[in-house]
Formats: sequence, C-alpha cells, structure tokens
Amino acid sequence: MSQTLAPDAAAAAADAAPIVSVTGLGHVYPSREGPVHALADISLEVGQGKFVVIVGPSGCGKSSLLMMLAGLRHQSEGAILCDGRPMSDPDPDRVGVVFQEANLFPWLTAIENVAFPLALRKVPRAERQARAAAMLELVGLADARGRYPHELSGGMKQRVSIARGLVQNPKVLLMDEPFAALDEQTRMAMGEELLRIWSETGKTVVFVTHSLTEAVYLADEVLVMSARPGRIIDRVAVPLPRPRTYAMMASPVFGALRERIWQQIRASAR
Amino acid sequence: MNHAAVLAGRAVLAAALLGIWEALPRLGIADPELLPPFTVAAATALEMFARPSLRADLWVTTLELLAAVAIALPAGTLLGLLLAESERLARIFDPLIFFLFSIPKSIFLPMFILTMGIGFWQKVAFGVFSTVFIVLMSAAAAVRSVRPDHVFVARAFGASPVQIAWRVYLPSMLPILLEGLRLAVIFGFTAVLLAEMYASRTGMGHQIASWGENFMMDRLFAGVLLLSVIAIVVNETIRAVEARCGHWRQ
Repeated sequence: MSQTLAPDAAAAAADAAPIVSVTGLGHVYPSREGPVHALADISLEVGQGKFVVIVGPSGCGKSSLLMMLAGLRHQSEGAILCDGRPMSDPDPDRVGVVFQEANLFPWLTAIENVAFPLALRKVPRAERQARAAAMLELVGLADARGRYPHELSGGMKQRVSIARGLVQNPKVLLMDEPFAALDEQTRMAMGEELLRIWSETGKTVVFVTHSLTEAVYLADEVLVMSARPGRIIDRVAVPLPRPRTYAMMASPVFGALRERIWQQIRASAR
Repeated sequence: MNHAAVLAGRAVLAAALLGIWEALPRLGIADPELLPPFTVAAATALEMFARPSLRADLWVTTLELLAAVAIALPAGTLLGLLLAESERLARIFDPLIFFLFSIPKSIFLPMFILTMGIGFWQKVAFGVFSTVFIVLMSAAAAVRSVRPDHVFVARAFGASPVQIAWRVYLPSMLPILLEGLRLAVIFGFTAVLLAEMYASRTGMGHQIASWGENFMMDRLFAGVLLLSVIAIVVNETIRAVEARCGHWRQ
C-alpha cells in the first residue's frame, strides 16, 4: 500500500492551520454476513480555505466519511475535529452540507429553502430574508427567489442547495457528489461556478466525487481512497495555478495527475 | 383548450343535463308523478329551505357529520401515525385493518341500533366507524410519503425532532391528509344519511326515506338537490385547500 506523501502536498497542508482534522478514523458496522469494515485508519487534515476533493471507487465509504465530518453519522473509532472541537452532532455554524440530489423542500420557494437553516435557528424574519437573498445573489439566482424547486433546472437546484449550505456562514462546506446527477455541460459550468463562489467566500471545501476530471479541475489536493475498507492510499497535490480554466484540462500536468489517480483506484479495486 | 372554453363547455353540459331532466316529464316521456321537472324540484327545495322544521333536519344531519369527522379525524390520524412509525405494530395490525376497510360498513348498522338506539350519538358512532379506517389509511400513507432524505437534510442543518415534525413531516403529509379528510367527509355523509334513513326520527335521511315511502316525489327530489349542494360545497372547499397546500406535488 503506497502511503507516499508528495512533497508539495505536505507543504500545502502545512501552510495553514487545519480547520478539519481526522485521526485514526475507522468504521465497522454489523450486517447479516458479519461485521463490515467500511473505513480504516483514515487520517487527514484540511487547511483553512483549501479545496480538498475525495475520490475513490464506488462503495469505498467516501460519502460515509463526509457524513461523519458533518456529524450526521458516528464513526466507530478515531477522532474528528472541526475548528478544534469534535463533530458529534450536526453543527451548521461550523459545517454546511450540499447533497447529491439537491434535496430542496418542494413546498418551499428557492429563497425559503435557502433561509431554512436560519428559520431553524429562529433568526428574525427580516434578517433571514436579507441573508438568504444575499446567498441567492452569490450563486447567481437573484431572479429565481420566488420559484418552487419543480420550476428550477437541475443546475439551478444545486445552486440553491449551495446557497442553503452557505447561508449560516459555516467554516467548512461539505459537498457529497453535488453534480453527479447533472449532465456533462451543466456539470462543467457548475464546477466553474463553484470555484468562483469558493474564491469569493474563502470557505474551506471538502468535495466528494466519482469524476477524476472534476477532482483535478477543482482541487488543491485530491485524496484517493481504496475499495472497502476505505483507506486513503494517495494524496495528490494539484499544482495548477488559479483561477483554473478549461484549457488546463488539456495540459500534460492535468493528464498526468488524472492518470496517477486512475492507476491508484484501479489497483485498489482489483 | 383555454380556460374560458372549458368553463363554457361545462356550463353547456350542466344546462343540457338539467334541460333533459326538465323536458322528460314535461313532454310526457317520464311520468311527472315519478320524476317531477327540475324547476318544480328546485322551487320545492327553496320553499322547504325557508321552513324551520327542515332547517332543523339539515342542522341535525350536519352536526352528526361534523361530530363523526371531528372524532374520526384525530383518532384515525393518531392510529395511522402509530402504524406508519412502528414496523412491528404495522405487521400485526395491517391485515385486520385491511379486512375492516374492505367490509361494507352498512351491514353493521343493525348492531349499532341494537346497542345505541336511534338517537344522535348512534349516527355519530356509525359515522366514525365508517370513516376512521379511511383516515387511518391515508394518515399512514401520508407518513410513508415523507422522504427520508428530506428528514436527513433537516437533521444536517441541526433541526430538532419537533422542528422535523413541524417543518418536514407536516408539510409533506398535508396534501394526502387533506385528501383523506375529503374522502372521510364523503363516506361520513353517506354513513350518517344511511343511518338516518334506516332508523331515525330526525335528520335529512329520515325525511328523504319518509318522502319516498309516502310518494312525495317533488319533496324527495328537492331533498336530493339540497344535500347535493351541501356535499358539493364541502367537497370543493376541501379541494381548494388541498390545491393550495399541494401545488408542489407533481
């Protein structure tokens, strides 16, 4: 098992204090065929303001890992610290979540969906409206505030979902394959849009995806996970400059990084 | 087809049906003794509606229906929630409820009369018995229509169990619950009127039965018109609320 830490990855991790830190995380759950080792020996650090992408074969537990970072699931061993404190329960002040399907509430308008986390916290109505409107503006949907989810396209729904994830001004945004259900073109456009939002807000992003191209295009660092039990088998720093452009996808560096990640995943899945 | 054309079409259809009703006895095709013309029935309805005794009958029937729904709605909803939330209870009780749901409730009416007499509460009880299973089944269906990922999202944003019930379960369930309410009112109305027709001293059902037995066809048809208007108004009111709360379901 290669645990090679690329020198530039180490440098990237060191230049900022980690906002998320995971040490010795493992997860075992019972099933009819006996205990299933889903995740094993996972340690990682995410520096403030970084964009970290987790990739791995289907069923490697990368989504489970993300749900644990969100405090929505509990690991059987190891520790997760976010902003210096354990994540034992969901805490929207520290962590916002964007799910695979946008999962908007169909009975609420776009702006009501964005304001939902604030309504839970009993933020006064006027402030709720103002903050939700500002978030819709940020994701480029200022005109769609009164529309219901069934009146929005897939990409627009995901924008609303991102706005909802950011509305409490969390330190970290966790994204679980947010663009997986979108078509190729929308997906590319959303990736670009996400990078713009990320650079404007300075949030730390942890992003799970199946797509290697998406991973290299978005990330400062790509964490590669093995098949079950999921371990981190490679940490790939992406030295491409920012802002990223589509043209970079054709560059030799991009291709080499993608190839390296693909080889790791292929080897681990065998 | 635009909205105005649809409305015009509906008006034509209604006028045609009422016109046929009017024409059949007038032209001697139907016996006016058996089928009084629409205008006669409508005039009789208006004239009867002005009478305090008939209003009292309408009021009794309405109260019985309201009482039956007021009892069946919370009871059925509560039982439905229990069954939908508890896998174990559902597995035990589901067959029993499906059996009871499928049996025509009218065959139990004599037992209600034997045990409870022919007063107000007997009709209410029979109304409850006839509607509670509908409410129960729609409440259970409503709970099962709540999407787990919506609950998950709410949890991710720190919702408490009460907030999840109020902000996720209730709006998800409301359209189906209202549909259940609408069906409950329809079946409850049927049950109450049936109980009144079978054995009673008051209520519209009792009057309709006795007008029929005494061959007072204009009054019988007038009663049918009055009850139809009430049923349609109630039904459409609930449907309007349903549409407002369920516009997002598509």
